[in-house]
Amino acid sequence: MKIKPFSIHFIFAWVFLFGFIPLCLVVIASFLTKDHVNLVSLPLTFSNYKELFSPLFAKVFFRSLIIALMTTVCCLLLAYPFSYLLAKSKHKSVLLVLIIIPFWTSSLIRTYSLIAILKFNGILNVILLKAHLINQPLSLLYTNFAVITGLVYNLFPFMVLPIFTNMERFDFRLIEAAKDLGANKWAIFFRVFLPNTSGGIISGCLLVLLPAMTLFYIPNVLGGARSVLLGNMIQNQFLVLENWPQGAATSVILTVLLLLLLFLYRHHGKGVIH
Amino acid sequence: MKPLALKSLAKKSYLGLIYCLLYFPILVLILYSVNNARFSLQWHGFSPRWYGELFHDRALWSAFFHSVMLGLNASIISTAVGLLACVHLFLNRSYKRRSLFAMLLLLIIIPDLVLGVALLIFFNVFLIPLGFFSLLIAHVTFSIPFVVLTINSQIHTLDPNIYFSALDLGASRHKALSKILLPMLWPAVLSAFLLCFTLSFDDVIISYFVAGPDFSILPLTIYSLVKAGVTPELNALCSITFLISMILVIIAHRLTRKSS
Amino acid sequence: MKLMSGLLISCLLINPVLASKIVNIYAWGGEIPKKVLQQFEHETGIRVNFSTYDSNETMYAKLKASRHNVYDVILPSAYYVERMKKQGMLSKLKQSKLSNLSNLDPLFTQNEYDKGNHYSIPIIWGATGIFYNANWVKNPPDSWQALWQNHWRSQLLLLDDAREVFSIALMSLGYQPNDNNPNHIQAAYQKLLKLIPNIKLFSSDSIQAVIIDEDAIAGSAWNGDIYKAQLENKQINFVYPQEGYVIWIDCLAIPAHPPHPEEAYQFINFMLKPSTAAQIALQEGHAITNKKGKALLPRSIRNNPLVYPTPEVLKRGYFQRDIDDETIALYNRYWEQFKLAF
Repeated sequence: MKIKPFSIHFIFAWVFLFGFIPLCLVVIASFLTKDHVNLVSLPLTFSNYKELFSPLFAKVFFRSLIIALMTTVCCLLLAYPFSYLLAKSKHKSVLLVLIIIPFWTSSLIRTYSLIAILKFNGILNVILLKAHLINQPLSLLYTNFAVITGLVYNLFPFMVLPIFTNMERFDFRLIEAAKDLGANKWAIFFRVFLPNTSGGIISGCLLVLLPAMTLFYIPNVLGGARSVLLGNMIQNQFLVLENWPQGAATSVILTVLLLLLLFLYRHHGKGVIH
Repeated sequence: MKPLALKSLAKKSYLGLIYCLLYFPILVLILYSVNNARFSLQWHGFSPRWYGELFHDRALWSAFFHSVMLGLNASIISTAVGLLACVHLFLNRSYKRRSLFAMLLLLIIIPDLVLGVALLIFFNVFLIPLGFFSLLIAHVTFSIPFVVLTINSQIHTLDPNIYFSALDLGASRHKALSKILLPMLWPAVLSAFLLCFTLSFDDVIISYFVAGPDFSILPLTIYSLVKAGVTPELNALCSITFLISMILVIIAHRLTRKSS
Repeated sequence: MKLMSGLLISCLLINPVLASKIVNIYAWGGEIPKKVLQQFEHETGIRVNFSTYDSNETMYAKLKASRHNVYDVILPSAYYVERMKKQGMLSKLKQSKLSNLSNLDPLFTQNEYDKGNHYSIPIIWGATGIFYNANWVKNPPDSWQALWQNHWRSQLLLLDDAREVFSIALMSLGYQPNDNNPNHIQAAYQKLLKLIPNIKLFSSDSIQAVIIDEDAIAGSAWNGDIYKAQLENKQINFVYPQEGYVIWIDCLAIPAHPPHPEEAYQFINFMLKPSTAAQIALQEGHAITNKKGKALLPRSIRNNPLVYPTPEVLKRGYFQRDIDDETIALYNRYWEQFKLAF
């Protein structure tokens, strides 16, 4: 075949040079020592990793994991029925486009709008007060609630798209067949629909869980002192504390743990990540 | 109301509710672009002066155009290369596709944060200055996997024999490619391109680590402004961006519908 | 195919750097107003690339991160000028190029951190004190110690700055902000741990919206920022605490090996003009070091004890100085642990 495999080689070379090598450098840097002048220097040391086995790091890690899990669950609960309705609708493409449009606006600015909504004297509190649902304004901003809201808002389409794609390919005649065979609604859902859409669910969950743990600008903008998550910790280590080796070590551990999670999914879940 | 009608109403309301929740912050955004207050986020009355100030703010426009330039460059490069690679893989079954896909998958899985940090270290070690080219490299790096995945998923629905029969009928390779395969792949190519552009235009995390001072991009400018006190000018810019992107997406959608 | 390559080439051609003259400025957010930059561009035709930071540490880390320097003008605080000067990160200033230098108040030009102003030009100064919202706060705090009271549960906004926050604890214990005694610092850290339940968030830069819109009703802040906040919410008040407070000075400096040195000098000279200094004071609310500029300000600002503290109040102030690397490392370690202890 004469179509030059140039493009293939190009991609291989590119990904190797700008993907694989930088990642190796991170691993190497995690074993070096912090230096005042050059940022990293020998001697090689394990101390960066030792520091990570402290209770403080475990606390941050678990907090990030819990918040990410709560985000994923919220997204799933909202997106699943939504995708179902979308898949059965007659105006699929328009509705799909309508989901994508907001995400062309800067996510930072949309997150900033959430501030205006969740503030002490913000829109949500004004509405709740006027409706006499509360007596005192709620302190929602700069809490983990605000962070989860921001994450769900930003990551919602990542849950919708895989599930929707999966549901679109579902043969709804299976449901008809099950009904004909006498199954009730719950049986149809749990035995027919859910298992067949599990692939989409798993992809969606992964697409939400991973970023939810590492998006640092949302906790930065919406969260308070109690919302220091992994992403913020790493950002801090690189750009404020200028402790590159420590930051590199944290990044390596984060990646390894995420890869482990993915591996567990592949092993136990029926889902294919594609 | 009949149960069926009730059910239908419930379904429509759920859909409607979700869309309202999605669009509400954007409406707030547009509303505050005409807020008569410099710092406060409470409503202080109507004032369109921020749109006027926006037109005089060279720095913000410059960041906007830089982002557009960067996005176009990164998308064109990744889409072109990705498309060629997918076509080649499709027509030539013997190629080692698994290792390629494994590497691309790795890039998607690696959190943005780690990739950004890795590239920062890489540019530092190899003395590459942070600026337009470091950003371009970073954006192409995270875009290519998405292009390949998107185009690949559509290319599998095609039959390679179409290409080979065209060759048999006397068409040149180039013609067979551009007149037969490409038009069939057009929707996927367009959506890959748009996806890349969106990812690049809106990227904060990776750009945060690898951007330089002489090439300001919109997301980072917004980030520093959000932290330093956003004036409604920014809301004005984002309202305009929203309108433009809505128009673009609708146009793209119409185009893909026409061709498929 | 042809269309794509044509598009690609045209994109690359339209691309950046059709630059004429440029100057890259990296400064504190909220101190140099955009109008001033636009004026500078208008007057000199030099294009300004402006980026901001919200802490000296970020600025320092960014400068260290790139092997060759990309910034022409930076705005470090005086104690960082001291530090960077020692490490050779700053260019020695050719004062002959700065004709407007004489506009500055001798109070600031005769200083200890940079004798003779060979490396830095002070332009903005201020103090860190306590702010509170009279709408919600019935017993205004007048000392740092008052912030430890239980009724502030999850209410306080503190500056996101290690040394500032530690200064609060140090001063409440009777020590000085520039203390380098490890025992004192450890005691301060222990005291700060007790403050955790009262803290709502840390922020150095988005504080106007937080303070004005009452998302935090008390905490530590810079006096200039409170002056700005007061303009939009009359209930906001500022207090210079009894135990003392930190005074800081932000100075213009040129990093070593700037890419555009001539433009850098032009910018600094422009900043030293009385009219520019007055604009900075009017737009951003901070106290300026420019004597002639201050004279141009309205009396309501010139005589405002919030922005320009009276001599008796000034006596309680501590000027921030640099401390040795080991102590900074100690501060950083405690600070990181403190932030994670929430």
